[in-house]
This record gives sequence, C-alpha cells and structure tokens, in this order.
Amino acid sequence: MAVNEKNILNRLYFVAGCMFIFAIAVVVKLLSIQFIQGDKYKALVEESNIKEVSIPANRGNVYSADGSLLATSIPKYDIRFDAITPTDKRFKEYLTPLSEALSKYSGKSVSYYKKELQKARANKNRYYLLARNIGYSEYLKFRSFPLLELGPYKGGLIVEQYVKREHPLGEVAQRTIGYERVDDEGNITRAGIDGAFGSDYLRGTDGKRIKQKIGKGQWKPITVDNEVEPKDGYDVYTTIDVNIQDIAHHALLEQLEKYEAEHGTVVVMEVKTGEIRAISNLGRTSKNTYYEKRNYAVYEAHEPGSTFKLMTLMAALEDKKVDTSDVIDTGNGYKVFYGRGIKDSHGYGKISAARAFEVSSNIGLATIVDKAYAKNPERFLNILSQWNLDKKLNISIKGEGEPMIPKPGHKNWSRNALPSLAYGYGLKITPLQTLTFYNAVANNGVMVKPRFIREVRNLDEKIEVFEKEIINEKICSDQTLKKAKTMLENVVKRGTGTSLYSDYFSMGGKTGTARTEYWHKDWSKNPRYISSFAGYFPADNPKYSCIVIIHKPSVKKGFYGADVSGPVFKKIAQKIFTDTPIVDEVETLEVKTAKVEKEYKTYYDIANRYKTIMPDVRGLPIMDAVALLENMGLKVKIEGVGVVENQSISKGTKVKKNQTIVLKA
Amino acid sequence: MQKAILNNIKGDKLIWAIVALLAIFSFLPVYSAASNLAYVGGSGNTFAFLVKHFMHLFLGFAIMYGVHKLPYRYFRGLSMVMMPLVFVLLIVTILQGTTIEGANASRWIRIPFINMSFQTSTLASVVLMVYIARYLSKIKDKTITFKESILPLWIPLFIVLALILPSNFSTTAIIFVMSMMLLFLGGYPLRYLLAMGAAGLVGLTFFILIAKAFPEAMPNRVDTWMSRIENFANGEDTEEDYQIEKAKIAIASGGVVGLGSGKSIQKNFLPQSSSDFIFAIIIEEYGLIGGLFLMVMYLWLLFRIVIVSQKADTIFGKLVVLGVGLPIIFQAMINMAVAVELFPVTGQTLPLISSGGTSIWMTCMAIGIILSVSAKREEIKEKQSQDEGDNPLEILSETI
Repeated sequence: MAVNEKNILNRLYFVAGCMFIFAIAVVVKLLSIQFIQGDKYKALVEESNIKEVSIPANRGNVYSADGSLLATSIPKYDIRFDAITPTDKRFKEYLTPLSEALSKYSGKSVSYYKKELQKARANKNRYYLLARNIGYSEYLKFRSFPLLELGPYKGGLIVEQYVKREHPLGEVAQRTIGYERVDDEGNITRAGIDGAFGSDYLRGTDGKRIKQKIGKGQWKPITVDNEVEPKDGYDVYTTIDVNIQDIAHHALLEQLEKYEAEHGTVVVMEVKTGEIRAISNLGRTSKNTYYEKRNYAVYEAHEPGSTFKLMTLMAALEDKKVDTSDVIDTGNGYKVFYGRGIKDSHGYGKISAARAFEVSSNIGLATIVDKAYAKNPERFLNILSQWNLDKKLNISIKGEGEPMIPKPGHKNWSRNALPSLAYGYGLKITPLQTLTFYNAVANNGVMVKPRFIREVRNLDEKIEVFEKEIINEKICSDQTLKKAKTMLENVVKRGTGTSLYSDYFSMGGKTGTARTEYWHKDWSKNPRYISSFAGYFPADNPKYSCIVIIHKPSVKKGFYGADVSGPVFKKIAQKIFTDTPIVDEVETLEVKTAKVEKEYKTYYDIANRYKTIMPDVRGLPIMDAVALLENMGLKVKIEGVGVVENQSISKGTKVKKNQTIVLKA
Repeated sequence: MQKAILNNIKGDKLIWAIVALLAIFSFLPVYSAASNLAYVGGSGNTFAFLVKHFMHLFLGFAIMYGVHKLPYRYFRGLSMVMMPLVFVLLIVTILQGTTIEGANASRWIRIPFINMSFQTSTLASVVLMVYIARYLSKIKDKTITFKESILPLWIPLFIVLALILPSNFSTTAIIFVMSMMLLFLGGYPLRYLLAMGAAGLVGLTFFILIAKAFPEAMPNRVDTWMSRIENFANGEDTEEDYQIEKAKIAIASGGVVGLGSGKSIQKNFLPQSSSDFIFAIIIEEYGLIGGLFLMVMYLWLLFRIVIVSQKADTIFGKLVVLGVGLPIIFQAMINMAVAVELFPVTGQTLPLISSGGTSIWMTCMAIGIILSVSAKREEIKEKQSQDEGDNPLEILSETI
C-alpha cells in the first residue's frame, strides 16, 4: 500500500470539493426558502405570539361606619397535581412523604393518598385536584409539601389563583352590601352598595402587561415592568353600623321565624343625617329558612296601609282642613263611601281626629280626607307631591321601586281613590320612602335623603365625601309637626301600639296592617297581610327612625302591625339604648351645644348692645327674637314659625316701651 | 500583552482567529435563547446562561491551548491508551446513562465531583479518528490484506459504533462515514472500504430488525430515529415536521438582514433552539448575512485545515489533521442542512456555536490537535528559513 503525500492530497481535494458542493447546496436551499418559499413561511408566523394580559386590579373594600370590614376581595387557590411531570425517581422517593403531608392536612389516610396519587400517575392525570378554594396561608402550606416544593416543572405543582368577594360578617346586610357580577355574556348584575359603587370606585383599573408566547400555553413577559400598572379600587365607607345592623338583622329574623312570614325588611336611619345605620332584608327559602334575598326596603313598592295615615292626616292638618281636636263620627265601624264599604276593627263612635289616628280608624281618616278634598283632590295630592312621596328617592343603590299615587285622570283614579288613599290603599310606595317621611317628622320637618355611603377613600386619602342631602327643608309647620309627634307618641301610649309601651324609653310610631293580594279570589279563605311599624326613638329628641315591614305572617299566629312588626321595632330601640356601646350621646350633645352656644352668643351680643334701638333680628330663631324684643319692653306679634324673615320696625330705629312689633317667619 | 499571547500561541494563527470569532459570535444566539430557558426554568436569571456558556468556552480554549502545546507525535501513543478507556466510558454510559431532561437518550454520563454531564460519544469520535490516523500512517508503506486490518482497525471501530448506536444513530452514522472518509484519504484499499460500507448497512438492518422484534430492549430510541427517517422520506406530520416548519419559518422571516439580536420569535417554539436548530435562529435574527458569515467561516476553517494538512511534515500529521478537522466541518454542514431541510433531523450541534459543554470541548480538542500539527510545521520552517530565504508563494498560502 504505497501511500504518499501526493495521492493523499488528491483524495483530500476530492473530499473537500464534495464538502464545498454540500455547502453550496445548503446555501442554495437557504436562498430558496428565503426567496422562493419565503412568503409562504412568513405567513405562517403566528400572529398571536404577543398578547396583552390584563392584570386585574384589587377591588376596594366596603367598610361599616365604625370601620369594620363588610366586603373584601381575597385570593383563593385551587391546588392541582400534574402526576406526569415528576420523574420516576422523584415520584417514588416523595410518594410517601407527600401522602403523609396531604394526610396531615386533610385528615384522610396516608394510604388513601398513596393510592390516589399512584392512580393519577397511572392514568396520566395531569390535573389531579388536591384542594379547592383554599386561602393564602393554606396555599403556602401546599407549596412547602414534599415534591410540590420543587415547583411546577419538577414537582408537578399546579396552582390556580382567583379572587373571591367575601363578606366577613356573613349574611348580615349581604344584600345591601351587594356584589357586582359579570356573567358569561357580559351582562352585569349590580346589587347593593358593591354594585352601585363598583364601576366608579371599587373596581379600580386593570393593569396591562405584554407577554410573548414561548410554547403551548406558556407566555413570558417581554419587559420587566408592567405596561400599565393596575390601580386598585377605592374603599367605600358605608353608613352601616355593625352593632345596630346585627341587632336589626337578628330581631327581624327572629320575628320572621316566629310568624312564619314570607319576607320582611327593617331599616334603621339616623334622624339628623339620613345615614342608614342598619338595613336587613330577609326572604324565605323553600326550606323555610331566611336569607338576604332581595333588597325589599329599596325595591318593593307596595300598599303601605295605615302607616300612610300619618301623611294624609298631616296633609289635612297643614292645610288647616282639620284639627286634631275636631270630632269625627266613625260610627259603628262600617261606613259606605261612594258605594263601597270601609271597615274598622271596632266601632269607635264619635272620636277626635287625633284619636282616630291613634286607634287607626280607616273610617275616621277616610271621612276627614273625603270631606276636605273630595271636590279638590289635586290640592291634597299636591301636598303629598311636595313631600316627594310620588317620586323616587334617587338613592345610589340600583333597583329602587317606583312609587305610584293615582291622580284624577289616571286609570286607577275613581271617586273611591281619595278615601282609599286616606288610609293607605290604592297607592304604592317603598318602605324606604315611608321611613324617609317619618324621619323628616322626627327631624323637625327637615326631610333628608337616606344615605348608605359616607365616603370613598384610597387608603387615607379621601376621594369623595357624601354630604347630607336635603330633599325638603321643612315639610310643614312646627304646629303640624308638634301635633303629629304627639299623636305618634300616643299611638304607643294609648293607641294601637300600647303593647310596645315601655317605661324606660320613649318612642313614637304608627302601626300598619294592610291587606295584600285581596284582589285574589281566595283571600277570604286565606287572608294575607303586610304588617308594619314605622317610627322613631327616643320620642323627645329622636336619634333614630326605623321601619319594620313583615309580609304575609301566618295569620294563625297574628298579623297586626303592633304584634308582628312592632316588637322588632321595640327590640331594636331597646337594644340600641342599652346594649350598643357605639351610641355616643356625648357626640350629639357636643354638636348641639356648639350650635346652641352660637345662638346664645348672637342673642347676648344683641341683647347687650341694643337697649333702645331696634336690632336686626332677621335670621334668628323666632322664639329667640321674641325673648330678645320682649326683654327690651316691646310687644311682639308673630306670624309663622322658624327663623325671622321680616320685622315691622327696621333696624336702627329708636323704639319705646310697649311699642308693638310684628315679626314674620 | 498582545505580543505575549502571540508568542505563546503556536500554529496556524488564522485558525486561532476563526475559532475565536466563532466563539465570540456564539454568545449572541446563546444569550438570545437564554431568556426563555431562564423564564421556564424559574430562576429568571438570563445572565447565568451567559456565564455558563463563557465557562464552557473558557475551558474549551484551555483544552485547545493545552493540546496544541503537545508535540503531535504523542497523540499516536495517546490514542492507543485512550481506546480502551473510551470503551469503558461508553459501556458505563449505556449502563448508567443520564437522561438529559426531556431528551430520551442515554448519551451522557455525569462526571462526579464537578457535576457536569458529558457526552461520551463525542470524545470517542475524536479518539477513534486519531487512532485510525495512527493506524493508517503505520501501514503506509505496507501492502495490507483485509485480514490483517481486522484486529487493529475494524474491531475497535465496530465496538465504538456498536456502543453508540443504540442511543444515537446520527452520531454513529457520522462517525462511520468520517472513518470511511479518513480510510479513503489514507489510501486504504477502496474495494475493502466498499465491502465494509455494505457490511455496515447489513449490520444496521440487522440491528433494526432486532430492535423491532424486541422493543423492550431498546425503548423509544429506535422508534425515534426510524420515524425521523421515514418522515423525511414521506412527509407525514410529526414533531420533527413541526420543528422543521418552525425552522423554515424562522429562516424565511429573517430575510436578508434579520430581525435583530434577541428578536427571534421561533426560538419560542423550537425546543432545541440553542443547539440543533441554532442555525435557523441565527438566520432569523441576523438574516442571510449572518447565515452566510457562518458558512464562510466554516469553509474558511476547512480551507485552513486543508492547508495545514498539506504542509504537515508526516503522513500521520496529515491524516490526523483531516481525521479530527473534517468532522467539525462535516457536522457544521449537517447541522445547517437539517435547518434548511436538506437532511433529516439528526440532533447534531453546530460546532463552537451551539451551547453544550461536551461539543465545545471536543471541538476545541480537535482544533488543538490541528494546531499542534501546524505548530510543528512552523518549527521546521523556522529552522529552514535560517537556511534559505522565504518563498513568496509559501508566504501567500500561509496567510490566506
């Protein structure tokens, strides 16, 4: 075998030549892919290899007035196990320790988990459920379990996180706290406060991050920072007082259960501010248990019955069509108006208008109103309209019921409509509207709008503060108010509500027992009622107003407003003034003192400065002005109530003793 | 400093330069691929991959430097010593081979203490080539019969091939082809070569039949490369087709100038984007220009290997240069051919560019051997130049 350099080189050139040709072939193929097939393959580039991922913002919390958490969003986790991912060696090594850890966590036996995990691996289950709906601290436990601690790529740990809205107080006021829910078709249900303030405050804005696809179902963020940082939702501070809410909820629940009623609602409102301190709405399930079903207080407009008598009588009193002492003949408990009979539970005979109210005489009220307004029902309806009773309150929560008060010309209007209105039939208003009116009476005629929200905050920064909103500065004269208050107190002292009377605390209110579904044929066999009680407490300086409405109590057990709804009211009133540490009497006193002091200061300033010269008393409370001027020796005549608007002797004029001055309010 | 390096490194300076250029270039695609690996791996540290690659290259250059300092005549003896060691390593690999995550092939052994995996077949290839070169140079003046060559040549060759075959068909095939090429270059009788080529094919068929008959003996692997070849032939939709398609999409979307460093999209979908399909990713990021640059680099390296071989002072020198040098180029060509679908998917890396320690180190060792041969030539030339003046033609061919 004669090998020499020459023939090695010749063969080498041959081999190198082959390689060079091979290289040329590669380049040619490369060029053909790029230029001949190029468009075809460029079109195959997955367009969706970059996507924008939204990073959900944390929804704000809902707090009670005293800062307790009512609704909050918390992360929840589902833990699953990919039984294929771990290597054989690891699976065998960790099977027992993992099963032990799982057994310790759940209480099921070690052998159960061993069997299950082996089965999952044998079945190639890559999605074996280990735990569902667990909290963060439990999730951390799973992450420290043997094998799972190796993470998703070695240990087969699959963690699915989602956010759940939780109500730490449980069922209490759940319906009012509410939720915001988006279904598969994108329809949004917004219930309660959470729903009403969801889009504006609680929701926040989602962040954005651009991710690139790096394989099947795997996406990697392209940049270090988010493109848009998520902005968390604001916190909403409600007016709900957890203690009062708790009292109201349980008082209502107890009564509903006792009377096997269909549903009921209770609302407690702070008189001065209109802040809702408690709201509970309980409906019955098919299993005869109760839960926060719908926001009856807000949405359910119904025939109010006797609680409406306050409005009708006050309208007539304010219009000076009747006085409380006027005698009304209620007869023997049955009277026909325009061919239709109206019944009372007893025959009361000839009684005063006030007494008719106290005993809740339908005939009495119908007679008063019919006599006064039969010829001019618009006059009566106008007063009701001035009191906003025919209009929605426009509160923040969605789904407010539409009130209905018929007018002449309306399809529901007839000659009988007026006497019916007088005792609360033939119209519809919501419980919250009734309460708003009673609250106005308690609040010296100032009608304030019910409020559920105090303020919206981002940590310590106040985003928006919701001030008191006044619907009507003064619904009627002080005289009318005084009369109304006396009557309401008397209802409890000697009227339909005597069973609620207590020596220890005072209250004013009106019972109501309205028939419902009386237009159904079976009513006489199976009568159904709506029992209600609306009022305020304490009577002399009302702090809270409250309404209790219970629908369809079991008639066998009782149906009168005083029996069914009244006790709920009483319980709430009693408990608030005995149990609630939150009730801060000092605070209210301070507010009053400041106001009174200011008035006193003005009073004394004027009193000291003016001895013989007429002062400007406009803007002063009329009673203050009277005292001031009488101390100067003047004789004062007054017209109207409230603050002085006009004085007959102008400011700066010299006055003599016993000179007469007329003040107009 | 510059002088110190230049004085210390011997051999063909252009080979040094080409290798250095390729090594520097290799950081770009490796770093580009690192972002996904880091993200999926959970560490999130892309820099770690860069450091690791740097360590591989650093060690590679250290090996290259060390080897090129050895007089190449030592390799004759070393290859004799190394052959039995290679056998042992290959057997150990089969017995306790580590499967690298995902890849179902026992090709690696874990080196104790430093905790790195090592692909023994790559070492076996280099040692075998040197061994064959030694054998050919030994018999250069004899007329050899086939019988005489069985024990010293064919037995070791087939032991190596048989030990690699179950886990890595493509490497076995390349080693076989390269051995044949070297034997051809070394003047081994052509008719014997043809006969052995035929015998190799028969042996392979036999092996496949056994593997098919007893699938438990050789799980998965046979199926994998059987299906690879079948699919290359008939074009059914498989994982390989998916890879090839992504590779072609990468090449097409790269265009002439490429998408730019790190901007490859297909690297996300090509599982072996930093090794097997790195050429496609390089074209996607650096365009046709980048691809041609690499091709030119390898062809230039081929040219320098031919030159070194030409100038080598002994037959062993010539053959050993070709034996270890041509496989590098061949492997590079195969890798590029796979990316452009000129060749079925083999799993061969792109020498010096792909990440992966073993491949880099063995390539560096091979280059070290080539440099050692060329260093010897320089020594001789220095002595000669003291005797006679420089031949201008000589200088020209030294410098291109």
